[in-house]
Amino acid sequence: MFHSLLNKLSRKVIFTGLLTTTLLASPLLIAKGVYQSGPDFVAEVFAPAQPEAGVLWFNDDIRQQAEKILGHRVLGLRVRYHQSGAKTAWILNEIGKEMPITIGVVVDRGKISTVKILAYRESRGGEVRYPAYMAQYQGATLTDRYKLDKSIDGITGATLSVWAVNKVAALALYYHSQVMSKPEAKE
Amino acid sequence: MRSSNPAKTNIIWHRRLGLSLFVLLIFLAISGIALNHSPAFKLNKISLSNSWLLSWYGLEKPPINAFKLDNKWLYESGNNLLYVDGQSVAPCTAPLLSVANGTNTLFALCADTLHLLTNNGQLLESYSQLDGLPGNTGSIAAAGNTLYLLTDSAVFEFNPDSLELKPSPEMDPASLNPITDPQLLPDSLEQQLEKNAASISLETLILDLHSGRFFGQFGVLVMDIVGLLVCILSITGLLAWISRLRQIKQ
Repeated sequence: MFHSLLNKLSRKVIFTGLLTTTLLASPLLIAKGVYQSGPDFVAEVFAPAQPEAGVLWFNDDIRQQAEKILGHRVLGLRVRYHQSGAKTAWILNEIGKEMPITIGVVVDRGKISTVKILAYRESRGGEVRYPAYMAQYQGATLTDRYKLDKSIDGITGATLSVWAVNKVAALALYYHSQVMSKPEAKE
Repeated sequence: MRSSNPAKTNIIWHRRLGLSLFVLLIFLAISGIALNHSPAFKLNKISLSNSWLLSWYGLEKPPINAFKLDNKWLYESGNNLLYVDGQSVAPCTAPLLSVANGTNTLFALCADTLHLLTNNGQLLESYSQLDGLPGNTGSIAAAGNTLYLLTDSAVFEFNPDSLELKPSPEMDPASLNPITDPQLLPDSLEQQLEKNAASISLETLILDLHSGRFFGQFGVLVMDIVGLLVCILSITGLLAWISRLRQIKQ
């Protein structure tokens, strides 16, 4: 009688322990990963329209300003984007702590309409991909000092990832402004 | 005949211990002073890249995957960077699998990314698996302005201008001759790589020798015994001094 009671109690303790461990470990376990491919992201944000692919070549001014926004050297001589009317989509990489985060940004008429983490490779700080956090970027524009005009709330333990997303959002707004200032750009 | 005088036995053992530990104690004293003033001596800035030492620490030199293309050397050496003639141009997950020479573009295929470079080795842009690069792409071959990506079971035609990728079932992989065999990197470029390669700082080496960790758990145990012997040395020295004082008083 006593033994069966003890067995039931120990089973409950083990079950509760396992459940707590799983719940505590789950954010760490699912922080890393590829969530969406670039082509899928583009298709999703422009659906049902068919966007046109474009290339923004870096001249000295664009490179200098992009490097000022990111705070480091910009790799490559050009960047790809997709466009439909006054809406552009950019897929950019930026290092969080040690690994690059792939971020998709959609800019519509100079305002951010979507920011999405497509791939997160760091082991910690993946909370930046949560929709509630990403929603903060909606409607953000670029100030004269090439910063976001909205204050974005940080996330404890994901500060470097938050900074990376902020920089990429500002960079996409800047690239968008450069595309739109081209003579052939469609408004 | 063995001496039964405790004072004499004490002195004999003090002498034996002192002589046995002499070299070790000098080394521990000097290394301790050096570690105490490590920032001033800049010991952490002095890098040691001796191959025996690196191998002792488990830091084996990674293999270099180098290819000569259009009089340029494209290579990586396990540090996740693609180099062109000594300049790091892009991140590159090892290994660098294959390279190809297009009309106006050089191509370098790393484990998960295809890099497009200008003829003078500047990075144009990168095309990753996230953008659509087939995951099992093992080699590349260029024909004019078209690049062919070869996987285990298929050939894809890649347009470097539009980044469009489409299957090319009629293309015979055997006719493409992709460059996949690494070549020997010239000494000058290899030496340049070694300067930036993994190394051990002099501070780490001295600290590990001082603590005995350099020789693993055995070394730590030896240093523990040395510590105990130093305590015994101090006690026997003190006892010798006391017995000497007594002799003087008598």
